[in-house]
Amino acid sequence: MTDTTCEFGVRETSPDMAIIDVRGDITPDVEGPLMDAHGVCEHARAIVLNFANLDYLNSGGIGLLVTLLVRAQRHHQRLFACGLSEHYRKIFELTRLDDAIAIHDDEAGALAAAREV
Amino acid sequence: MATMATRQSGIRRVLRGRRSRGSRRAAAHGVPDTLPTDAPKVDFAPTDPLLAYLQSSPRPVLVDHLRIDSPAVRALRSADVAVLVPLVTHGELVAILSLGRRLSEQEYSADDRRLLETLARQAAPALRVAQLVREQEAEIRQRERHEQEMHVAQLIQQHFLPRELPSIPGWNVSAHYRPAREVGGDFYDFIDLPDGRLGIVVGDVTDKGVPAALVMASTRSVLRSSTQRLIEPAAVLERVNDMITPDMPPNMFATCLYGILDPDTGSFRFANAGHNLPCVQTDDGAVEISATGVPLGLLPGSTYDENEVVIPPGRTLLLYSDALPEAHAPDREMFGFPRLVEITGASGDAAIDTLLSELDAFTGPGWEQEDDITMVAIRRLEADATRETSSSSLSSRPDPVDHDELDCFTVPDDAIDERAAMRRVGTVVDDLGLEPARLDNLQTAVAEAVMNAVEHGNAGHQDLPVTVRVLASSRDVVVQVTDHGMGDPPPDLITEPDLDAKLRGEQAPRGWGLFLMRALLDDLRVERTDAGQVASLVLNRTAAFTKGARS
Repeated sequence: MTDTTCEFGVRETSPDMAIIDVRGDITPDVEGPLMDAHGVCEHARAIVLNFANLDYLNSGGIGLLVTLLVRAQRHHQRLFACGLSEHYRKIFELTRLDDAIAIHDDEAGALAAAREV
Repeated sequence: MATMATRQSGIRRVLRGRRSRGSRRAAAHGVPDTLPTDAPKVDFAPTDPLLAYLQSSPRPVLVDHLRIDSPAVRALRSADVAVLVPLVTHGELVAILSLGRRLSEQEYSADDRRLLETLARQAAPALRVAQLVREQEAEIRQRERHEQEMHVAQLIQQHFLPRELPSIPGWNVSAHYRPAREVGGDFYDFIDLPDGRLGIVVGDVTDKGVPAALVMASTRSVLRSSTQRLIEPAAVLERVNDMITPDMPPNMFATCLYGILDPDTGSFRFANAGHNLPCVQTDDGAVEISATGVPLGLLPGSTYDENEVVIPPGRTLLLYSDALPEAHAPDREMFGFPRLVEITGASGDAAIDTLLSELDAFTGPGWEQEDDITMVAIRRLEADATRETSSSSLSSRPDPVDHDELDCFTVPDDAIDERAAMRRVGTVVDDLGLEPARLDNLQTAVAEAVMNAVEHGNAGHQDLPVTVRVLASSRDVVVQVTDHGMGDPPPDLITEPDLDAKLRGEQAPRGWGLFLMRALLDDLRVERTDAGQVASLVLNRTAAFTKGARS
């Protein structure tokens, strides 16, 4: 597979809440940067993954999100998602990722839900 | 001392930790007591009237006062049990607490029994919950063992199926194998024989899972070695039968058809051990060719009939396993042999593909395939077609009927890029008017198929090409992704990915590709051909055939 690129920007909205902005492709190639981003916000209680600038997600990328979920569970963190296209929202539903990562239409909705954790 | 009989396959219980009469006497006289000793076991038969009594009268009962004559009561008395406390919740007897005699040798008082009744009322629901948890854990372990066994069975079976199809000038040999979720024991094989002849085997072992896969593997090995010693198909089957029967597990056997194709004359001479009859196309449709014999592994010393058919130029001989004729429609109608023969007769040069299409239409969406499906088609080419076949590497692929080829390309071998393939297919089918959401589904499936082809089909060799072919008819779009069929199958071919299991660490995080393809497409077929392994991704164009409409 060709090299993929993805940037994960971390914004900490409060001491116990963070947003990871996903920009590019999520494939197994970006495991390092994604785990680094999680490391930055590992003290957060809730993390919102903003997929508004997600270009491509393949089955390996789904596996990577599962790995992230396992890490988040170890840290007793809840994950939220927003900005998913209809297609990737459907893939979240097919794989039941939406059971573990609550999907919201936009960042404001995801943050509101995250605050209730 | 009190002990508890719990509910597991009926009430079976046991007294433990009770003191003997001797130790009680010793305690009563101030002599240091010994540790509790194991008491004799008391087994309750599920039909013992004592159980019905305790369920209907859920309160502590003195054994000496019981007026029930039953083996359990007699056993309890001889084990010196004084009180039984039934634990009943939701009307179900889940356990019995049994107590020996009091150290003071006095009877249990009414207060004692009230206390025990209160205890039983509170303990029964908690105990039932614990029992349910334990049962659930046992079920999970059982399911995991079953899945593991299916995985092993699939690996055995795939290992013993031919990796390549024979290439014979003037002939086109194709095969299709589609395992059921509960892997069956189907097998087929091609054996090179002297003088350019070809041995062809199709078989089916009864049972499923690892036992069937092991019998399949040993039958195949014995059959292969027998073909090197013997010539006549009947003699081969007789030897195989005599060799495997002594070691065949109870209630198992294998049906098997073995034949020899002489490519020069078109003759197919075969013997049959209880397998489905071969079907050959003629000018008047297809006909079955009969030869009888009992399945392998049932009776030592069995003999087998032989028969012979000459396959005419431009005609196909079809061998198959019984899952095809025995497939059921939603209304339980069976596909049946007459339908199979009729379709084969009318299918021209695409017998396997036509049968699969007809089978899919017959069974409808959501069909749970009951058994492995195996088909082998041996087609004798017309003289002029022979030249065409040998000059085209694509002509031996499973061609869907009535489809136009829109595009055919090789994913660049210097930089396999599934996204480039996905985009190109998207552009090619852009004019077909697919709904945008369905186009997204197809593109994602194409990307996954290309990745599977590189990672599994080509065993990770990025220097091996992957070919993508786009076909369309008025009914559907078919994208064929061809690899070299070298590596292990993707994990989700064998085990359905489960997010909870992945989060618990019981499955690897990855392994979603095939699952996604199946979920996003209307059909997915994987076949081995002489061009390699071909994944056919099918997306229906009309709403009547779409998954959305089905659901």
